[in-house]
Amino acid sequence: MLGIRRISTNRWWHKKKNWIFLATFLFLAFVRISKGSFFKDFYYFISKPFWPGQFQKEIVLKSIDQEYLIKLNLLKKDNLRLRRILSLQESSNKENISAAVISRKTGSWWRQIILNKGSKDGVEIGNIVIGPGGLLGRVKETSLFTSSVILVTSPESKLGVWVDRIQINGLLVGSGDDYPSLILYSKNADIKVGDFVSSSPASTLLPPNIPIGIVQSIDEKLKSKKTAKILLLAKPHVIDWVQILKVKI
Amino acid sequence: MGANFESKNLMNKFFSKLSIISFILIPIIFLWHPNWLGFLGVQPYWPLFWLLPWSMINGSINGLIFGLFLGLILDSLTLDDSFTQIPGLIFCGFLFGRIKLHSDILLGHFRYGLICSFASFLCGILYFLQILFRNFSDGNILIMIPSVKNILAEVFLTGLFAPFICSQLLRIFKFSRRYL
Repeated sequence: MLGIRRISTNRWWHKKKNWIFLATFLFLAFVRISKGSFFKDFYYFISKPFWPGQFQKEIVLKSIDQEYLIKLNLLKKDNLRLRRILSLQESSNKENISAAVISRKTGSWWRQIILNKGSKDGVEIGNIVIGPGGLLGRVKETSLFTSSVILVTSPESKLGVWVDRIQINGLLVGSGDDYPSLILYSKNADIKVGDFVSSSPASTLLPPNIPIGIVQSIDEKLKSKKTAKILLLAKPHVIDWVQILKVKI
Repeated sequence: MGANFESKNLMNKFFSKLSIISFILIPIIFLWHPNWLGFLGVQPYWPLFWLLPWSMINGSINGLIFGLFLGLILDSLTLDDSFTQIPGLIFCGFLFGRIKLHSDILLGHFRYGLICSFASFLCGILYFLQILFRNFSDGNILIMIPSVKNILAEVFLTGLFAPFICSQLLRIFKFSRRYL
């Protein structure tokens, strides 16, 4: 008795189409795992001719003036940082790296910017990004030519801050709009509209005394803790040039 | 004669790859994020403009697969590790494949707007639910207001641009299929 042997020529691996599909899927999975660094680098090259130039000088200078006014108050305690932020577009020393914004998402679900300096320029994950006015965010990812910055307005961002007038630490949490929330875990905190907020000396993520914003409104509803909306000094939706601070805390 | 044939062959190859070229453009536009096309700082949901004509021509399974591909790419370009766009795009890709082409051109145009608005709403709600689920324990209700604004602005913009972009892409895809 001879067994009937099935001779099939129609297996899935015989079809070229299936192999192409599998290869595409594996490639996209690689893109996903590498967090799109391939696409970001590709975007770096094709967006190069459109990078921002000198045309934003007025906005930049106005914001620098505002920043210096606030810094004068802080100068009594600490004038070290003021010397570092001088000519924004020219300086690029070992401590600070000047970078241009090549992609910006500031209004939708995602609040991030992509800069034209990456790991080849020495940018590292966790570096601080400041613009004219003050803090913008932190570097969360780097590719060879680009770095992605999570803005302080992003819901994923949580930073320790310092309210200078009442000498109290708080938590700055992004709420998905242009005004992040300041949470003070003390119901007796005497916070007022117009109070200046800077990075906390106790923070493990940021160096102290980087200007962040001004209290715009205070939420009265919550009794156990005080929350306030912060108006940021640096405007991520218009800034084209930023500085990456390579600081070790 | 030979050169003419060769150039024609090259042209045919280019036209047959138009759909793939337009697919690569989606992440570029997503990164570019042109502010002058936005409303309240929100952009239209770009992947739907490509996914709708593609799924209408190639069917539900193809739509589902390319929804997954688009989701994978777009997720890799955003910094939010906790949230994903894949479920919304897969669902929309599948849904779009069920839609048949309409003979009335004018009605077809408005239909694209309506379908894309609905799909954008679905994707927005699915993304919002993820954010809500993540922040549920924090009691951070402040996040709700900007999210609702995002969804509404995105629905409006996607519906506004869809008739222009989808109908053109549909024409391109049909045209490129002729050269396959």
